[in-house]
Amino acid sequence: MAPRTQLKRKASTAAAEAEAATFSDDEFGDGVLEGVLSDDSEDEENSDDEAEDVDGQDEDLDSDEVPSEEDPDEKEDEEHDGPRYRIEKDANGGERYVYDEIDPVYDSDDSDAQDPENTIGNIPLKFYDQYPHIGYNIDGKKIMRPASGQALDALLDSIEIPKGWTGLTDPATGKPLNLSREELELLRKVQMQEIPEEGYEQYPEYVDWFTHEEEKMPISAAPEPKRRFLPSKHEQQRIMKIVRAIREGRIQPYVPPEEREQEEDEEEEIPPPEYLPNKEEKKQWEETDPEDRKKNYLPASYDALRKVPAYDQFVKESFSRCLDLYLAPRVRRTRLNIDPNSLLPKLPRAEELRPFPTVGAVEYNHGSRVRSLAIDPSGEWVASGGDDGAVKFWELRSGKLVASIRISADEPVNAVRWRPGSAILTAAAGQDVYFIVPPMLDQEVQQASRAALDTGFGYATNGKTATLTSNGNRKDPPGTWARPGARLEDQGVLLKITVRADVKVINWHRRGDFFCTVSPTGQRSAVAIHTLSKHLTQIPFRKLPGLAQTAQFHPSRPLLFVALQRTIRVYDLQKQELVKAIQPGARWISSFDIHAASGDHLIVGSYDRRLLWHDLELSARPYKTMRFHPNAIRQVKYSRSFPLFADASDDGTIQLFHGRVHNDLMTDPTLVPLKQLKGHKVVNNLGVMDIDWHPTNPWLVSAGADGMCRLWA
Amino acid sequence: MASSTGAGGEGQQIRVNFTTTLPDLQLPEDKSQLLVPGDIKRYGLSRVVNSDAMLNTDSPIPLDFLINGTFLRTSLEDYLRDNGLSFETTVTLQYVRSLVPPIYQASFEHDDWVADVDVLSSTSRAGLWAGNSPPQGQDRIVSASFDGLLRIWNMSGQVIATSPSMSSKSFPSTDYVPAIKSAKFLDATRIASAGMDQTVRVWKYKEGADQLSGDLKPTLELLGHKGGIESMDVHTPSSRILTASNAGEIGFWTTSASAAPDAPESALLQANPAKKRKVSVPTGAQKGALSMMNVHTGPASAVVFHPEDSTAAYSAGQDHTIRTIDLTTSKVINTMTTAHPLLSLCSVQGISTPLLAAGTSARHVTLVDPRASATTTSVMTLRGHRNFVTSLSASPMDNYSLVSGSHDGTCRIWDLRSVRTGSKAEGGGSVSEAVYIIERESQKGQKKKKRHPRRGMQGIRRSLGQAMGHRQWWRG
Repeated sequence: MAPRTQLKRKASTAAAEAEAATFSDDEFGDGVLEGVLSDDSEDEENSDDEAEDVDGQDEDLDSDEVPSEEDPDEKEDEEHDGPRYRIEKDANGGERYVYDEIDPVYDSDDSDAQDPENTIGNIPLKFYDQYPHIGYNIDGKKIMRPASGQALDALLDSIEIPKGWTGLTDPATGKPLNLSREELELLRKVQMQEIPEEGYEQYPEYVDWFTHEEEKMPISAAPEPKRRFLPSKHEQQRIMKIVRAIREGRIQPYVPPEEREQEEDEEEEIPPPEYLPNKEEKKQWEETDPEDRKKNYLPASYDALRKVPAYDQFVKESFSRCLDLYLAPRVRRTRLNIDPNSLLPKLPRAEELRPFPTVGAVEYNHGSRVRSLAIDPSGEWVASGGDDGAVKFWELRSGKLVASIRISADEPVNAVRWRPGSAILTAAAGQDVYFIVPPMLDQEVQQASRAALDTGFGYATNGKTATLTSNGNRKDPPGTWARPGARLEDQGVLLKITVRADVKVINWHRRGDFFCTVSPTGQRSAVAIHTLSKHLTQIPFRKLPGLAQTAQFHPSRPLLFVALQRTIRVYDLQKQELVKAIQPGARWISSFDIHAASGDHLIVGSYDRRLLWHDLELSARPYKTMRFHPNAIRQVKYSRSFPLFADASDDGTIQLFHGRVHNDLMTDPTLVPLKQLKGHKVVNNLGVMDIDWHPTNPWLVSAGADGMCRLWA
Repeated sequence: MASSTGAGGEGQQIRVNFTTTLPDLQLPEDKSQLLVPGDIKRYGLSRVVNSDAMLNTDSPIPLDFLINGTFLRTSLEDYLRDNGLSFETTVTLQYVRSLVPPIYQASFEHDDWVADVDVLSSTSRAGLWAGNSPPQGQDRIVSASFDGLLRIWNMSGQVIATSPSMSSKSFPSTDYVPAIKSAKFLDATRIASAGMDQTVRVWKYKEGADQLSGDLKPTLELLGHKGGIESMDVHTPSSRILTASNAGEIGFWTTSASAAPDAPESALLQANPAKKRKVSVPTGAQKGALSMMNVHTGPASAVVFHPEDSTAAYSAGQDHTIRTIDLTTSKVINTMTTAHPLLSLCSVQGISTPLLAAGTSARHVTLVDPRASATTTSVMTLRGHRNFVTSLSASPMDNYSLVSGSHDGTCRIWDLRSVRTGSKAEGGGSVSEAVYIIERESQKGQKKKKRHPRRGMQGIRRSLGQAMGHRQWWRG
């Protein structure tokens, strides 16, 4: 009998659908339902969830059963199931079996549970025609005969149900809530979380338009044939055919009309049809501003003179002619013209940033290539060291050679630096670092300098005891401090350190007790820190991740900056750790300098022609990159008393910059290129080798490969 | 004069009005207005004024003509055209005695750079102080050289006397000799010198009877400076010496050995390092300073006495300042700050008020009003040098001319009467340009280089004024 009920149900839903189709959409819009809908949907959603969880795949059953709880008609159908019933009198006076409510437990849906089966065996059912039952189930209970169609119809007919009856009360009005079929269907769809639109098929048949299978062996894997890249012969034949036809005059090719020259009376002429504007041209003409139009009219042609309209610009034109007559000025649209230069940031002019060195004032002729030079702390003397192995002292302002001391016969002097605050010059030649007390200074100062150099002699033994290796061998000390010999001592060279490799760079700590030397070839002992007061040489880095180029102490904090080829590493000397690594982005760093006043700014010069300004607080990357030279930059230096810095390049020029660092952390430093100082000759692709600033005046000294040193003032 | 109506380019005539402030060269009232041809230049104008009809001078006096405050250097016509002035107006020309260009006389060849020279002549300051000045042609020149020697020259370029070397070497093997940076005649027989050895020496100069040989003997050694002495000034009537040192000190000394205080112990020790002292050289008495004033924050580069008052002095330093010092109290009275490091100083009488001329490292000479009440520090700027201005001297004969020596190898003579307004690039103010430029004769002489002594360049070459007595102070 189940198939029957299903049929019946289908028929009823189909009827409902047909009914719904005839209804208009009006009833959706009147808003009466709203409160109920929202209540219902909340309840139903929960049950729906459950239902979906339980039997999500069985769509058919689900969609049919849930509305059956509400539908009073379909309640009747349930009475055939179940053995327990009570007999009532129906509308026709016949018996009506009223069954108990089915307990809708989940187990009842179990597929294993067999329907109550008639156990009468294979006998014709007509034997039971006269009985109310049709057989016996497995328990020996009678299986009662379901109600016949006539009886059902009769019952249904006997019950008068008002149209749209739901048995609910409209909370808004307090009256019974009537719902049309359409609305019910809508509710159902909402409950089922279906798309409530009419006629929408939620699960259409899948059409496999394209094959989803990836073919492992495609039809053809042949490479692109050559003919694809060759001009087609067939096409050529066709073209030649046309060409031949044109040559013989069989075809008149279309030649696009040339741009006509502007003529005085062009406006009055009837233009040939090819000069008439097409739609796009017309539109374009209309969209451009009157000032920007090439012509102030559109060519048009008319079949007859009587079709030519009146001149539409007549009033406008006569008005403007009147304006012309009495010389009235007219406002013209001004184009937005932005000078690209005005978008550049405003830099102060170089003239406003005086003083800075502008011209070469004094020359010091060293005689051979000068590798390094330095102005003494008092600002009176210049020391230069060159390829001839001599250190020469010059009077700064007059340019007079005061003393010349040849510290090395064959090695060039690579670096000369004054000890801060006193009159001792350190000069590096080969593996030796010499301490020179120049003769022109005050006797008192000389005595003090000698004393400073001699104080460390007692400490020398300490260093020696510590240099025994594990297997008892005497290890080379990193530096040997000794007297340089009588000849040099007579000239004022009083002390000598011999380290393991050629020293290229010397830089003093501000207090004048420590200085660091850099020997780029020195492998493990590339960077050495020397203590003058103890005659002690230490090698702080067992291993450096690259070739050391130069090193410098921080002007105020206990930091040591070591420049490798590509990075500058900052070490804390007290904590013995790496603080930060600066990446200037240059391929080969040649030199760097730290801003003395702030200590947070760094300029880096590189052999790949770049000058980089770093803000250490800001980032490890450069704040500004400047390229002003066609050749490598050898040396960069901050002025100690003016907001100036300069670089020295192999192209023989010195570029001066104004670099003001503001106390206010928010303001970026002002960098202005000021001037290029030219004067040094380029010898063997080497130009300016070293520069140094005067301690108090805006003066600069430079050392040239041409053997000249210059003072720029 | 009738042709003045002809407005042709060549025959243009311009009405001029001659005026002067010189009392001895006044023109009669009715003769001061004149029509002159437009292409007339200074020389023509000078001849016109000197002519019989005008001044009727016995010998022509060379005159210069100031037009609107500047010297007329082109033709009158060109000047009017260049300045956009009308040819119709009357041009006022003020005539003044012109500065006679110096004439090259002789070179005094040294082996090393020359730091300073001083002249003893009847018109020089030392000669005036000495009273009994040498007769004409017997002038003497003292030069201080970087080789540590003083030399006395006669006018024909012969060395009459050379001082003994006083240097004491701290390091035997170096050839370093402290340079003498300044030398001055105190009077006809005494010379003061100072240099990088931080000592001031007073020498006795005795000349032989033949006037071709002489003898220099140190009589006094003044010790106490901490730095090399850059500049020295002397005042013989009060027997005082002023020195300026690299260490920023101004030393005030007396030339009389008895009046001078004893030298400080430390300075004596320095001057006589026990073993290195050369016994052969007599030094004379060793004395100290009357006072040692720490005046400048940077190196002091020059010091001069006040021209009238020997108890006041001016000093210039690289710290951009000129300071007025009261020598009796050793106090700085007034500080004038300029824009550049100063390298040289001299006092000029000036046309209206006494001025100070200071040579700067910025290649010009700044004229400074030293009065404390002056509103503007810089009165005038003399532009034209191309390098450090390292020496300055005022003319003793007039109150408006000045000579400067510079590292660019030139001496320039300036006339303060010619003034123009500075352009914007020059920073405004009053600007003057050099009247004459004296180039070094031996620009290529590389052996004797670049040091420019007080009166000019190298000491190798001196240009003397046309009239000896008139221009002597100006020898280059």
